[in-house]
Amino acid sequence: MKKIQKYTFLVMLFVFGAVYLTFGDNWQVYAKPLWQMRSWYQETMAGGEETVSAGDSKEEGFGSISGSDSVSDSDSVSGSDNADDSLQEESQAPATGEGDGTENLTGQGDQNGQSQEPPQLIVSRRPEDVEYRTVEDDYFKDALFIGDSRTVGLYDYGGLEDTATFYASTGLTIYKLLDAEIVTVPGQKEKLTVEEALQQYSFSKIYLMIGINEMGTGTVETFMEKYKEVVNRIQELQPNAIIYLQGIMKVTTERSSQGDYITNEGIEARNTEIEKLADYVKVYYLDVNPLICDETGGMNPDYTFDGVHLKAQYVTIWKDFLKSHAL
Amino acid sequence: MLYFLPAFFILYGITPKNMKNVTLLSGSLIFYALGEPRHLVLLMLSVLSNYFVGLHLQPVKGNRKSKNRFQKNWKKLLFIAAIAGNVGCLAFFKGRTDQAGLPLGISFYTFQILSYLIDVYRGDIRRERSFLNLAVYITMFPQLISGPIVSYGELRQPIRERQMTAESLQEGLKVFTVGLVWKVLLADRIGLLWREVQVTGFESISTPLAWLAALAYSMEIYFDFYGYSLMAIGLGRMMGFRLPENFKHPYMARSVRDFYRRWHITLGSWFRKYVYIPLGGNRRGMTRTVLNLLAVWMLTSLWHGSTVNFFIWGGSLWFLIVLERLLEKTGVGKRLKVIPHLYLWIVIPITWMCFAITDVSQLQIYLGRMFGLVEAINVRAGDWEKALTNYWPLFGAALLSCTPAIQKLYRRWKDTIPGMLVLAALFWICVWRIAVEGENPFMYFRF
Repeated sequence: MKKIQKYTFLVMLFVFGAVYLTFGDNWQVYAKPLWQMRSWYQETMAGGEETVSAGDSKEEGFGSISGSDSVSDSDSVSGSDNADDSLQEESQAPATGEGDGTENLTGQGDQNGQSQEPPQLIVSRRPEDVEYRTVEDDYFKDALFIGDSRTVGLYDYGGLEDTATFYASTGLTIYKLLDAEIVTVPGQKEKLTVEEALQQYSFSKIYLMIGINEMGTGTVETFMEKYKEVVNRIQELQPNAIIYLQGIMKVTTERSSQGDYITNEGIEARNTEIEKLADYVKVYYLDVNPLICDETGGMNPDYTFDGVHLKAQYVTIWKDFLKSHAL
Repeated sequence: MLYFLPAFFILYGITPKNMKNVTLLSGSLIFYALGEPRHLVLLMLSVLSNYFVGLHLQPVKGNRKSKNRFQKNWKKLLFIAAIAGNVGCLAFFKGRTDQAGLPLGISFYTFQILSYLIDVYRGDIRRERSFLNLAVYITMFPQLISGPIVSYGELRQPIRERQMTAESLQEGLKVFTVGLVWKVLLADRIGLLWREVQVTGFESISTPLAWLAALAYSMEIYFDFYGYSLMAIGLGRMMGFRLPENFKHPYMARSVRDFYRRWHITLGSWFRKYVYIPLGGNRRGMTRTVLNLLAVWMLTSLWHGSTVNFFIWGGSLWFLIVLERLLEKTGVGKRLKVIPHLYLWIVIPITWMCFAITDVSQLQIYLGRMFGLVEAINVRAGDWEKALTNYWPLFGAALLSCTPAIQKLYRRWKDTIPGMLVLAALFWICVWRIAVEGENPFMYFRF
């Protein structure tokens, strides 16, 4: 008994540790390296024949981009399902001002059958056929911005906090996007999820920039699968809105070569795929990167402290870009 | 850390008494190799060469004059060469501005080596014949990386013989826990405000936020460094060492001079003992004192880093200390009660900004924003209120922890059951935080 009394603190530390490791961490801290050692041991014993299953899901880079040709250039409605969905629900021509000069394509296949009287249905255009105009801040009064901390930065320092609506939160990913409880409703304590909010309120423009937080999970394909799903759902809920898909902002070249999963190559691979979703009728692709990147292809180091976020004074570049690329 | 420390202490505990230094030395080298394998060889070469140099520096006794003079000159030459070699090595790495960075802990272990060489040369301590003992002194892992800087005179006895008892082990663990709490639960978290402000860009913060962020950084650097020092003291205590305190409530000081007697005490006394006093200290008239202080502060700046901002930092501290000395003669300070504290809390955060911001043009902008002298670009209205709502609990905890109250509380409760329960719980909360942040380093900096 005396001995235990002498070691009270040590005993407490061990007991608390056991409790913590059992309930908090499942002894992973200590078990993981042991497992790794074991699998490493097995691997060397088996002469490399056996593959270790402990491999984490790693980023695949571009090797994995699907080979399908880009959607925007094809003459017909290509397999991209979001174009189908949006146009099936909306059989009227979109309210673009300068639709006449463009290559208007009538829908084919099942779409023709479904729309009773297709009045020169615009299915998709080329990006170079779109004529953007420059607008003032009040353009954003019926606009919604969805995104991660970079969009939070636009909210904080873009001067639009009283004009536009922002459903943005630090660390947001495409996987959490619709279910994220981040929408505050005045007078209510509970927050709405983005999906619920989209059901209740309507917007005419929806800006989306997301994709950097999820670079560590899954591949370009899994990301795009979810991305398409989310865009489709947004279109379903907001059939009248123009959707601006923004290319993911790149990071500085230094940050890109830091050695973790965030690389400009990965961002480019995702942006290429996101761009393919644009039909330039209801869904547009905007990429601010040329304006904020230097000759190395990464974000200009002068514009940022951490290599990822634009400093407040340079958020204006992004905002002005959006203002000069409005419809 | 989570593997190294438990494994080390188990091994250390079962090592027979006369072999404990071997375990400690190997542990220290492994620890260093885990942190920075590249410069392990540098550390080992440094220890080895300085061991041999130290053997030859001891002043000679005896009365044969001619031989003495020759030996004296030879020793002097060796001494100067050794000092130059060590300082040169440190300066080489400090001066290099490429990304490789400094070898881990070089500023600290070089200063320990220097103190050993100087003490032996002066005859203050006897040379150490045992390579093992000297190597343990220089590489001892708890204080290898960030101090406290200890002289060999203080450690010789405990290195030769020390007791690892149940009492010392647990006492050390408690001190270690407090250090861990300061570092993980306070410094790292309040430092996020400083980080946020950097991400936003100094041009775009309001003046109140500039002050808040400067205060946050002042707290971060204190609790970070104090935390590390306490962890070192705690780890030392677990093995039976008694390392000196490095901080004594600096923010309770009433002058900058007083602040730096309480801040990083072991570095301050190093400079005092080996630079300030040999130059004549304050006994050679006012002008000489001022110049001696200047020498000390320029070297202190250099020790921290070789970019211009560190000299602005050291220079301004030197200026303030000289000013205080002049004012002291008038005797104003003693009659005032609150104003000296207020003065300190205004001046110290400003000097910390000179310390933190290495880019001088950025520093100009920041100081300009603190005083509203630089035009702001794109400031978010009410940014400081938002910061205050997010960080007030941390500010409160930090300010409270700057007072001696917490230490009193700790002394009062540390040996009671409730106190120990709280400490044990805090220990594992810290471990949990580290685990969470280690798994996901972007815990806070997610995008």
